[in-house]
Amino acid sequence: MGALEIILIIACAAIVIGVVAASIVKKKQGKCACDCGGDCAHCAACRAKQIKK
Amino acid sequence: MKRFALAGNPNCGKTTLFNSLTGSTAHVGNWPGVTVDKRDGVYKKCAEPVKIIDLPGIYSLSPYTPEELIARNYILDEKPDCVINIVDATNLERNLYLTTQILEMDVPVVVALNMMDAVKKSGDSINAKLLEERLGVPVVEISALKETGLKELMDKAFNESKKIREGSTVLETSPLGHLIGDVKIALKGQNVANPLFHAVKLVEQDEIEANMHKETLPMVEEFKKTFNDEIFGGDFEALVADARYKYISSNFASVLSKKSKDTTKMSKSDKADKVLTHKWWGIPIFLVILFGIFHLTFGEDLLFLGKIFSLPSLEDLGLLNEDGEAINFGVRILATFYDGAVMSPGVWINNVWNDLIVGEFFGWLGGLVEESGMAPWAIGLINNGIFDGISSVLSFLPPILVLFMFFSILEDSGYMARIAFILDRMFRRFGLSGRAFMPMIMGFGCSVPAMINTRTLADDKERTATVRVIPFFSCGAKLPILTAVAGAIVAFFGVGNADVITFSMYVLGIVVAIACVLLMRSTTLKGETPPFIMELPTYHLPQFKNLMAHLWDKTKHFVKKAFTIILASTIVIWALTHFSFNWTFLEDEQVNESILAGIAQLVQPIFTPLGFGSQLGELGWVFVVAVVAGLIAKENVIATFATLAACLAAVTGLDLGELAIDAEDGIDAVQAMIQATGITIPGLIAFIAFNMTTIPCFAAVATAKAELGNKSTYNWTLLFWLASSYVVAAIVYTIGSWWWTLFIWMVAFAGVAAFIIYRNKMAAKRLN
Repeated sequence: MGALEIILIIACAAIVIGVVAASIVKKKQGKCACDCGGDCAHCAACRAKQIKK
Repeated sequence: MKRFALAGNPNCGKTTLFNSLTGSTAHVGNWPGVTVDKRDGVYKKCAEPVKIIDLPGIYSLSPYTPEELIARNYILDEKPDCVINIVDATNLERNLYLTTQILEMDVPVVVALNMMDAVKKSGDSINAKLLEERLGVPVVEISALKETGLKELMDKAFNESKKIREGSTVLETSPLGHLIGDVKIALKGQNVANPLFHAVKLVEQDEIEANMHKETLPMVEEFKKTFNDEIFGGDFEALVADARYKYISSNFASVLSKKSKDTTKMSKSDKADKVLTHKWWGIPIFLVILFGIFHLTFGEDLLFLGKIFSLPSLEDLGLLNEDGEAINFGVRILATFYDGAVMSPGVWINNVWNDLIVGEFFGWLGGLVEESGMAPWAIGLINNGIFDGISSVLSFLPPILVLFMFFSILEDSGYMARIAFILDRMFRRFGLSGRAFMPMIMGFGCSVPAMINTRTLADDKERTATVRVIPFFSCGAKLPILTAVAGAIVAFFGVGNADVITFSMYVLGIVVAIACVLLMRSTTLKGETPPFIMELPTYHLPQFKNLMAHLWDKTKHFVKKAFTIILASTIVIWALTHFSFNWTFLEDEQVNESILAGIAQLVQPIFTPLGFGSQLGELGWVFVVAVVAGLIAKENVIATFATLAACLAAVTGLDLGELAIDAEDGIDAVQAMIQATGITIPGLIAFIAFNMTTIPCFAAVATAKAELGNKSTYNWTLLFWLASSYVVAAIVYTIGSWWWTLFIWMVAFAGVAAFIIYRNKMAAKRLN
C-alpha cells in the first residue's frame, strides 16, 4: 500500500468520524439540521437558547 | 446591549424589516403566520449596536395560540428597551387595535407605518404627524421592502429607549375607564409591573391574568356585577374590544385620506380573487398552476410543441455523428435545449449543469485519479464511490432550484394563502382547517420548519394529524428520488413523460395525506374542526431579492449536505460493499458477499409485496440499502445507487459506457439498477411512493419528537409512517402489476370505512 492509499484511508476515516461527531455535537447543543439553511424560527430559537446558556 | 422588539399584526412586514435591519435572510412569506418563534439579530448603525428581536405576528395581546403567547410574554417578561410596533399602513384601523394594547404597557414605543410606498401608490395619504400627536408616541413612515425610513426609525427608537414611559390607554374615556383605573391603583399598590396593562386584561376576563392576580379578582368581579351594557351585557371582552374600535374610528381614522371615497370599488386583488378563489374553479386552477410548474421544471417537450408540430430531431437534421454525439460544441449547446422538442427552462438549466459543468468537471477529476497510479481499489473508492455518489446528488440541484423558485413566486405573490382558503372547504370535510394547509405547503420545501409551523394550530389533535402527514408532501430532498426514478422510467422503458410522473407523485402524496387525515380524524384523533380565519394578503409582484435569498439558502444547504452527510454516507456504503463479514477486501464483482448485501438480503423479503423485494433476485437488496440510507438524508437514496452502480455492472457483466449510462448522473444510476435487477415500472413507482411516505430523514424525525411532546404519540407516529408507506407502496405495486387488484383494495377500504362508521355510530349511541 502506497502513501496515497494511506492518505486516502485516513482522509475517508476523518470525514466519516468528523460528520458523525459534528452531528452529535450539534444535537447536544440543541441545534437542528433542517433544510432551512439555519434561518428558520426553530434554528433561531435554538441559537438564542445556546447564547443564553 | 439595548434590545428592541418588533411587534405587529401577522404579515405586516416584521420579518422583512428584521432582515433589512440585521442583514439576515430569515424566511419571508406573503401569508400570515410565517414566523412562529422569536429570533434575534444585531443592528449596528445606531450609536451603539442594538439587538433586534423579531416576534411572531399577533392580532392582540390576548393569546390563543403558542406563538401569540411568545410575543406577549417577551414584551411583558423580558422588558425590551423599546417596542417597534409595525403597522401595515394599508390596513391602518385594524392594525392600530394592537397598537392601543401595546401602548398600555410601561415600555417606550415607536410606531413604524410600514408599506407607505403602497399607500402612496394607491393615491391615499396618511398624516403621520397627526397620528403621532394622537397616539402620544413617535410615528415614522417606512417601507421595509424598499428600505426607506429605516435610519430615522432606528434613531427615534434609540432616543425613546433612553426615556421612561408609563402606559396609557384609549379606554380612559370609555364607560370602563373608572373600573380600569380602580384596578390599576390596586395592582400598583401590590407593586405589579405594567399595572395598566394587567388591569385592562383583568377587566377583559383574560384567563392568564385571572390566574396571575387571584387576590384582585374578587374586587373586579364585584364591580362587574353592577355593570351591564345594553348591547354586550356582561361580555367584558367584547366591551373592551368595542370601546377600542370606537376610539380608533373616531380618533385615528381621520388621519387617513382616501383617494377614492367609493368603498365598494373592488381592488385588483379582489378582482383576481373572484377567479382564483372561485368556489368551483379555485381547485382546478390550482392543479393547472401546479402542473404548469412541473411542466416548466421537468418537461422535455415545452408546451408539447415537438409533438404538435412534429419537430425534427438533431439526428434528422444531421447534427449528430455516427456515434450519436454532437458534431461540434455549438450543437452540444443546442442539444441542451432542443432535440426534436424545445425543452422547458428547468430541463435546459439541468442539461447545461449536468452535461457541460458537473459531467465535465467530475470527468476531468476522474481522469486525474485514473492517472495517479493508485491501486485499483483506491481508484474505485474515489471514482465509483465518492465522485459518482456526490455528483449524482449534485446533478439534481437545477431542478430543485427551479421548482423552489416557482414555489417561492407563488408564496411571495400571495397565492399560497389563497390556496389555504380554497382548500379549507375541502379539508374541513376531512377534519382539518385550511390553516393546516400552510405548514403542509411548507413541507414541499422541508418537513422540519413545516412541523414547527404547526404551532399556529390551536387544536392539539389537528396539530398531531398535520405533523404526521407533512412528510407526504414531498420535500426538496426527496426530489432527486422522484426525478431520477421518473427520468429513468422514461429513458429506460421509453414510456410516459417525466413531468407527468413527477406531478402525479406529488398529487399522490397530497391524496395519501388527505386519506390519512380522514382516517385519523375519524378514529384516534377525533375532534371538532376549528374555525379558519385568515387574512388574505394583497397580491404583489414577488421580490427579486427575496427569491434570490431563498434560492441561495437552498443551494448553500444542498451543497453543504452533499459534501458532508452524503460524502460520509457514500464512503461508508462503499466500505460496507467492499468488505465481507470476516473483513476480507472484496472486488466489485463479489459485492453479493459483502456486509451490506448480507444484512440487506435478510430484510429483502419484507419488500416483496412492494415490488422491490425477493422478486428482484440476488441483487434486489440494493433497493433495501437505498431505503435505509434515505433515513439519514433522502438524497442518499440516489447517491447509494450511484455508488453501487459499478459493483452491479461488474456482477452482471454490464458495460455502462456501452449502454451510454454514466453513474455520475442520478437518472443513469437508476437505469443501471433497472438493468441489473430487472425491476418493473410498478416496482419503481412503488419505490418512489414508499420513500415519499415512509419515516422522513433524521432531522424531521427529531423535530416531530420535539413538537409532539408526548412519547406515546411520537411512537405511534413512527409506526404510522411505516404502516402508511407500506400500504401505499403495496397498493401502487399490486394495482400497477395486476389492475384487477384495484377491486380487492376497494373492498378492503370499504370494509375499513364500514367498520369505522359502525364504531363511531355505536360510540355516539353510548354517549346519548
